[in-house]
Amino acid sequence: MSQLKTLYEELIRAFKQEPADLKKCTLVLNKLKIGLIEAGLLLPQGDVNLGDLVVAREILEIGAYVSIRSRDVPSFDRYFSQLQTFYTDYSESLPPSKREYPIRGLNLIRLLTQNRIADFHTTLESLDADVIAENKYISHPVNLERWLMEGSYSKVWNAREQAPAEEYKFFVDSLMGTIRNEIASCEEAAYESLPIRDAASLLFFTTQSDLLIFAQKRGWQVDISAGTINFKRKGEEKMEIPKQRLITASLTYARELEQIV
Amino acid sequence: MPDVEMKPAEAKPSTEKSAAEQKPAPVPVSPLVEIKSNVALIDRAVSTLEPRFIHRVLRTLTALRKRLDDSVLRNAIDAIYPKDNAVKTTLLGWLPSAPAAAADHSMDVDLSAKPATAEVTPEAEMYLRLLILQHLLLEEETQEKALELANETVEKMQSLNRRSMDAIAAKIWFAVDRAYDLAGEISDARPLFLAAQRTASLRHDDEAQAALINCLLRSYISYNLYDQADKLVSKTTFPASASNAQFARYHYYLGRIRAVQLNYTEAHTNLQQAIRRAPPAKTAPGFYQAVHKYFVVVELLMGDIPDRTLFRHPVLEKALNAYFDIVKAVRTGSLAQFQTTLAKHAAQFEEDNTYTLIIRLRQNVIKTGIRRLSLSYSRISLRDICVKLHLDSEEDAEYIVGKAIRDGVIEGRIVHEKGWMECGTQKSGYGPEVSEVFGRRIAFCLDLHNQSVKAMRYPLNAHRKELAAAEGAREREKELAKEIQDGDLDDEDLGGDF
Repeated sequence: MSQLKTLYEELIRAFKQEPADLKKCTLVLNKLKIGLIEAGLLLPQGDVNLGDLVVAREILEIGAYVSIRSRDVPSFDRYFSQLQTFYTDYSESLPPSKREYPIRGLNLIRLLTQNRIADFHTTLESLDADVIAENKYISHPVNLERWLMEGSYSKVWNAREQAPAEEYKFFVDSLMGTIRNEIASCEEAAYESLPIRDAASLLFFTTQSDLLIFAQKRGWQVDISAGTINFKRKGEEKMEIPKQRLITASLTYARELEQIV
Repeated sequence: MPDVEMKPAEAKPSTEKSAAEQKPAPVPVSPLVEIKSNVALIDRAVSTLEPRFIHRVLRTLTALRKRLDDSVLRNAIDAIYPKDNAVKTTLLGWLPSAPAAAADHSMDVDLSAKPATAEVTPEAEMYLRLLILQHLLLEEETQEKALELANETVEKMQSLNRRSMDAIAAKIWFAVDRAYDLAGEISDARPLFLAAQRTASLRHDDEAQAALINCLLRSYISYNLYDQADKLVSKTTFPASASNAQFARYHYYLGRIRAVQLNYTEAHTNLQQAIRRAPPAKTAPGFYQAVHKYFVVVELLMGDIPDRTLFRHPVLEKALNAYFDIVKAVRTGSLAQFQTTLAKHAAQFEEDNTYTLIIRLRQNVIKTGIRRLSLSYSRISLRDICVKLHLDSEEDAEYIVGKAIRDGVIEGRIVHEKGWMECGTQKSGYGPEVSEVFGRRIAFCLDLHNQSVKAMRYPLNAHRKELAAAEGAREREKELAKEIQDGDLDDEDLGGDF
């Protein structure tokens, strides 16, 4: 236990430092996690000292932050599922953590960037309505999702600077990638051709070369001389009669009718 | 929160009410006599291994529950058990001793002169426990006692482990759930239910399993643990032989889970099933209303507008009032109207747990608006779209229209240089999907037919008579054949003679 304590203090020091020593944090965290398992605190069961639980929660919270800062999303995912126990099952006995909502919000953004909308809503459902509306850490991802769904992409773009916490910006890049792909697929369907300059502003590109690289990736035809991008029309899908399925269906009907008559 | 949850729960027992109420209505039997005859039926069921009789007993449960009181239960126990029986004393211990009723009860015992000498089956004891439990649950001050009794009954039930008890056990589990619910400790019961569910599925105890899965789902959903509820659903199979009432509840919970997960098509099917399997609207209005609230929202989320007649239904009219306003807002595609309606009824939606679902409707309102515009204009500037739909900027309008085109909401094209949207003609809706839908419906009808054939009951040994008749016919045929043969021979003989 005493060893755990020194490690914990070491972690706090490394984390509070400006800028935080991420490498050291990760190292100490690994040792701490083993220590927590040995003390039976990683997945607490039965009666445990509440003070110990608060410490265990803080360690995991720092772990979640550290993994975000070192851009290790799978590791964040693990920390978050471990924290779930503390946030839901012990919510009544433990004093509320000030890091709880930022971390929950980060998790929501993560689900959003990975396009796991169903999980996003399931997670959201476990929060109170007034928390969703008033807590700035939660309402940020909720608004983002709403704008994404209705297609107000420019609002998403403008909101990227208004992140409530430093860590949220780590997700901005991947979020912008998601948005660009969304917009691009909309453009493919909605336009026949688009001037290069307008396309760049629609996709939030500042330089033409970025746009050209992006256009190449999506296989768009760029007409530099006319200054337009042409979108290939997907040819009308040929209607085929699903012979196999019709035959099996008819055979089933025949068999069933046979049984009835 | 538990209040909302209680609606379907309370609605459920009344499922069997319609059947039960019709029977006792013409001849009002005293509850005492009914309990006694029910116990006799249970004994018969156990001795003949025919669960049918137990089901008949359980069907009268709801009607009976309302007519119970302390003295009836006491007299019933007195009459059923012989004197100085250990079970009798424990059972009586759960009822408040009422000296005033004593004189009355001695008379009753005299009336039912013959003392029950035969061994009383544990099933009957469980049945009586269930009655006491339900009786205790009705009164607020006895609820704590009910919880105690529930725990003791569960222990006893599990130690007995009799297959003939399964049907009663399912009802007891439901009452246990209710006891925990009223005590506000529904999450504490979860480990108990999980363990029981495991045992029930190992023993192929379908009825208890169905009841337990529903109890667990209810417990998860009332704490908004949709993730866990979804995992439970994916890890268990709901027994196909479960009763209609259990199926209705299961479909309702499944519909709610799917709706949260944005799987609206599946949510819609499940809620529809729940409505179809639910008891008539008048007997279980709570359940009917709760399902319809979700049904309306899911239908809106799918982009459909619910039927106007739904909101005129006598049971639903008042309950769905707020939802009707939302439907109107979505139908006109007016964001402003939607926002005001939402603000006006927010409290009710939160109470119904539909608030988060309704917030998601915002995009549908926009989509409906765009669709209406695309139908009425062949060409409209983005500026006008922005004004008509109350959007914040022209830029937004362009993205939103683009998304609508990609999602297939409208057919059209944006001309960026001119800043307008050109609307194409709608495609005709005839393709292979029509035959697919048709095929699905035929399959449903065929399935229905097969299920009803399977559900028919045939009297035992009835086929013997037919067999005998067939046997006789065969005999006659043989004779006839023989005669003909003989006749033929005769003819030949005759022919030979000539």
